[in-house]
Amino acid sequence: MNSGNGVMVQAIGLTKRYGTGHSEKYAVRDVSLAIPGGQFWIVSGPSGSGKTTLLGLLAGMIAPTCGEVRLCGEPITHLRDHLRALVRRHLVGVVFQECALVPRMTLGENLFLPLVPEGGATEADRLKAGALLERFGMAEFAQARVEQLSAGERQRAAIIRALLADAPILLLDEPTASLDTENVRMILEVLLRLRDEGRTLLASTHDQRLAEHPHIDGVLRLVDGVLRE
Amino acid sequence: MKRHLALISFAFGSAGRRAGRTLSIAFALALVTFCFSSVLFLTEALRREARLGAAALPDLTIQILAAGRPALVSEKECEPIATIPGVVAVQPRVWGYYFVPTLSGNFTVVGVDTDAEDVQRDLSLVLRKGRLPQGSGAGEVVVGESLAAFLGLKIGDAVIFPVGRSTKRLVMVGLFQSQVALWTADVILMSVADAREFLNVPKGYATDIAVRLSTPDEAAVAARKIAELMPAARIVDRQLVGRTYDLTFDTRGGMMGAMLMSALVAFLILAWDRFTAVGPGERGEIGVLKAIGWRTSDVLVARLWENTLIGIYGALPGILAAYAYVFYARAPGLAQVLLGWSSIYPALRLAPAVDLGQVLVLLCLVVIPFVAASLVPAWQAATRDPYGLLRGVT
Repeated sequence: MNSGNGVMVQAIGLTKRYGTGHSEKYAVRDVSLAIPGGQFWIVSGPSGSGKTTLLGLLAGMIAPTCGEVRLCGEPITHLRDHLRALVRRHLVGVVFQECALVPRMTLGENLFLPLVPEGGATEADRLKAGALLERFGMAEFAQARVEQLSAGERQRAAIIRALLADAPILLLDEPTASLDTENVRMILEVLLRLRDEGRTLLASTHDQRLAEHPHIDGVLRLVDGVLRE
Repeated sequence: MKRHLALISFAFGSAGRRAGRTLSIAFALALVTFCFSSVLFLTEALRREARLGAAALPDLTIQILAAGRPALVSEKECEPIATIPGVVAVQPRVWGYYFVPTLSGNFTVVGVDTDAEDVQRDLSLVLRKGRLPQGSGAGEVVVGESLAAFLGLKIGDAVIFPVGRSTKRLVMVGLFQSQVALWTADVILMSVADAREFLNVPKGYATDIAVRLSTPDEAAVAARKIAELMPAARIVDRQLVGRTYDLTFDTRGGMMGAMLMSALVAFLILAWDRFTAVGPGERGEIGVLKAIGWRTSDVLVARLWENTLIGIYGALPGILAAYAYVFYARAPGLAQVLLGWSSIYPALRLAPAVDLGQVLVLLCLVVIPFVAASLVPAWQAATRDPYGLLRGVT
C-alpha cells in the first residue's frame, strides 16, 4: 500500500486558521511532514499545541486553510466530501479520544458501524471481528455496551474497528490518555505489533512514556501549531 | 438495496436507543394525527350517509307549506303533475316523525304500499329477518336493525305507543338493513293504512309527493312547471339536497380542519425546536459516523428512515384511535360540532367510510412535514466537519 517513494502520510505547508481579523488564530501553521510506510511516529506537544487538529487535517476530517495532505501518495485535500469519507472508510483508521464509539450500542455493533453504508457486516467480517477481539483480549466484551467498557477497552475497541476495515494508516489521538500504566503498556504493545505488521501509525500524545519509547520510529514536536524538529 | 436495509436496521436501532425522545415525539404525533383523522373520518362517514341517502330520494319532492311549515298535500295534486313531460311517476307518500319523549328522539315512520309488487320486491332486498308487514292495518312493522337493537326488540315483540288520545299497538314482524346507518337507526316501515293512523293523516292526503323524472338532470325545468301548477309548493331537488349536504359537511369539516391545521403548525414548530434539533449527543454520533467513513448522504438516509419510523409509529396509533373514537365511541364532542347539536335519531352508529387513500393522505399530511422538518437540522450537522462535531465545535 506504500506510495512510490515509500511515504504513506505526507503534509505540505499545511495550515489551519480559525477566525479573521483580531480573532484570527492559527491551530496549525505551515506544517510539512512525511511519514514512511510501516513506521510508528509520534506528534508530541503540550495541550492546545494543535496535535489533534493536525490529525484531523491528515484524516481529511478538517478542511485546511491552505496546504495539502497526501495519503499513499494521493492528494486528498481537494476531494469532495463523499470521496474523503471513502478515504476514511478504507485508507485511514481514525482513533479519536472523544466519542470514538457510539454510546448505548454494544461493542460488536460499534465495530461494524463503518460497514453499514456498504450493506452491513458479512460472515467474513464477523469472523475477522471475532479474531481481532480475541487477539486484543476483548472477546468477552463483544456484547457489552460502550458505557460498560473502561477507557483502555474503548481505545482498543476503536483500534479494532479501524483494523476491521483493513486501513493501512492509523491516526490515533492521545491513545494513552487517562490510562493506567498497565493499560498504557498494553496499548503500546498493540500499536507496535500493528507497526510490525506493516501499518503506518501516527499518534498524538503529551505522554512522555510514549514519546520517549525506544521503539518509536520518529517524534514530531508541535508548539503553538508550528512543527519544531 | 443492501445498503438501505443496513441503514434501516441502524435507524431502527437509533430510534430504540433514544427511546425517550422517540416516544415523546410519537405521542405528540399521535395526538395531532388523532385530531385530524377524527375530523376526516367523521366528515367522510357523514358525507357518505348523506350521499347514499340523497341517492335514494325521488328526483323531486313536493311539499305544501302552510304558515311556513310543511302541511298535508291532497293526493288530487298528483294528476296534473303526471301530465308534465318528462315525469315518469308521481307517488303520494305518507311518512312523518314520531317523537318519543322518554328517549328524547324521533323515529321516522314510513308508510309503504305492501300490496304493490315493486315495493314488495324492493323491500325483500333489504329485509334481513322476518317478513313484510300486511296492508290490513294490523299494526305490523319492519324496523331498521340498529333501531331494533337500540330498543331491544326481537321479531314478534309488540310495543304500544300513544297516538292522539288513544294508543297504537305495533308488532315487529321483520328487520331491515341498509347501507345508510341513518335509516337503520331511525326508520320504522308499516303499511300505508297503519301509517295514516299512526301519524293522523286522513285518507286522500299525503305528507308529500315524490316525482321521478326520465332525465334527472332536467329537474329544474320540471320543478318550474310544477311550481306554476302549485304556487304554494316547496319543491326539493335531489341533486340540490346532495350538494347542500356536501357543502354543509365540507364547511364544518373545513372549519375544524383549519383549526387543527394551526395545531399541526404549532406542533411542527415545537418539533422543529425541541425534538428534531440535533443535540450534542446526536451531533457527536454523527461526528463518529463521519469520522469512520459515513458520507453525508448515509447519515441523512439513516436519519430519514429513523424519523419515518417515528412518524409512522406515532401516526398509525393516532389513526386507529380516531377510527375507534368515531366508529365505536360515536365521536363524543366532535359529532355535535359536525351534526349541529341536533338530536334527530336516538342511536346513530356511522358505517366506516375509510379507504386506503384517506389513510395515505393522513400519513402524508403528518409524517412528511415531520420528516422534512427533522431532516434539515440533521443535514446542517452532517455537512459540518466531523472533527468539529466530535469536539462539540460548531
